[in-house]
Amino acid sequence: MPQMAERKALSEGLQHLNENMVTMAELSELAIRTAVATLDLPGVEAKPPAAATPSDVFTLDQEIYGLKQQVEEECVNLIALHAPVARDLRTITSSLEVTTHLDRIGRYAKDIAEASERIRVGVSGNTPTFQKVAKMVDLTIDMVDTSVQAFVHRDAEPVRNILKADDAVDHLHAEVFQEVVDRMSDRSVTPQVGAQFILINRYLERIADHGVNIGEQVVYMLTGERPPRVKHSPASAV
Amino acid sequence: MTEGNSLESSGTGKLVTQDLSAYYGAKRAIESVNISFPDKSVTAIIGPSGCGKSTLIRCLNRIHETTPKTRVEGHVLLDGQDIYEQDAVSVRRRVGMVFQKPNPFPTMSIYDNVAAGLRLNGLRDRKEIDRRIIQSLKGAALWDEVKEILDQPGIRLSGGQQQRLCIARALAVEPEVILMDEPASALDPIATAKIEDLVFDLKKQYAVIIVTHNMQQAARVADQTAFMYLGKLIEFNDTKEIFERPREKLTESYITGRFG
Repeated sequence: MPQMAERKALSEGLQHLNENMVTMAELSELAIRTAVATLDLPGVEAKPPAAATPSDVFTLDQEIYGLKQQVEEECVNLIALHAPVARDLRTITSSLEVTTHLDRIGRYAKDIAEASERIRVGVSGNTPTFQKVAKMVDLTIDMVDTSVQAFVHRDAEPVRNILKADDAVDHLHAEVFQEVVDRMSDRSVTPQVGAQFILINRYLERIADHGVNIGEQVVYMLTGERPPRVKHSPASAV
Repeated sequence: MTEGNSLESSGTGKLVTQDLSAYYGAKRAIESVNISFPDKSVTAIIGPSGCGKSTLIRCLNRIHETTPKTRVEGHVLLDGQDIYEQDAVSVRRRVGMVFQKPNPFPTMSIYDNVAAGLRLNGLRDRKEIDRRIIQSLKGAALWDEVKEILDQPGIRLSGGQQQRLCIARALAVEPEVILMDEPASALDPIATAKIEDLVFDLKKQYAVIIVTHNMQQAARVADQTAFMYLGKLIEFNDTKEIFERPREKLTESYITGRFG
């Protein structure tokens, strides 16, 4: 192997890009956890302070969006100035792609927090419990975390099974939907609250999808191969 | 061939090398190279200085052997026929070459520069010579710039124009393959862009093989790219594969600039 040159300016640029990506990923995960914590669901371990409020999530969403813009600018500069190829190029284009997914995740976290606010206003006493929403939350956060860790540690292995996890989320999504509809039908939950949970359910499912997309992008970034997307089973038409 | 070469030397190319090795005295400059250059297509050869890329193309039209104490082993097939079993001069007519520095004949006019090869090949018909000169100058994207000054010395042209004049001279004898050894490395960016546009047009008609130090140039003009290192062909593939997902670690190190 010949002696390696460093290409200092490009290497430093890539390192800085990575730091921003890691921060953005951490904030996106924190945004989901905080948004979920504001729901105060029994059975969901709220990792952020229990006193999390929707406005914490709004702040995080703003921060994530700011980072996205910064990352985009960095990527364009690196391409324009250094004409990167091979893995360097894949890292930069993948960062651009992943940053969009992280931004969307932040946005859905904000949507959940807003739904949470509407539930608080519409509910006197305790928030109704939906056991399966808690499970949905856990699975979704797990998926995003798996993809984010794969990106951060440059290891595609953990995301190989992510499509199966996505299937599980899709099934749960259908089940939660049914559960909410049933509870509205037997009037143990008001339509106002039920509708919010249907939305939250949907947002979580979308977040999981973005988790899948990030995972796929990590595989491409590291290997140059685009993994084929195999849909394991058709999700119900919810 | 290593695993990294998805373009097999299948023998179906316009020009195909088989276990081609070349020596300067006892020093082996290229080692058992098997590569197949497709017709009507541009192939770039990249690699660090001294990797053997220029030697390789100098073997493809038998210019290598014009240097004293050199030797070639293996085969080079042009349309399936070994060029080393043919007359070297007629091989060079079919496989033209353009060098790094433009080298027009210094005392000749623009017209005579292009006509020189034709005359050497025994063409005497003035009308036919005129026709070929116009066609070659147009083919080299130089006609519009020189049509009024054909009788002026070729060396009065700018560097970029001189290089296109040399390309016109190569085209005049109606070759089948065009070899280019760093054809734009002595030119400014605008002249370089003109040469690159020209290469893009030339491939409609010829097999073009271009040696370049400039990786972005390879990425811009070539359909296939070969990477050589220490006299060996390390990887040969579609250009977009080489620059997006090279198979070989050595290729990756070289094209990302983390090398040497």
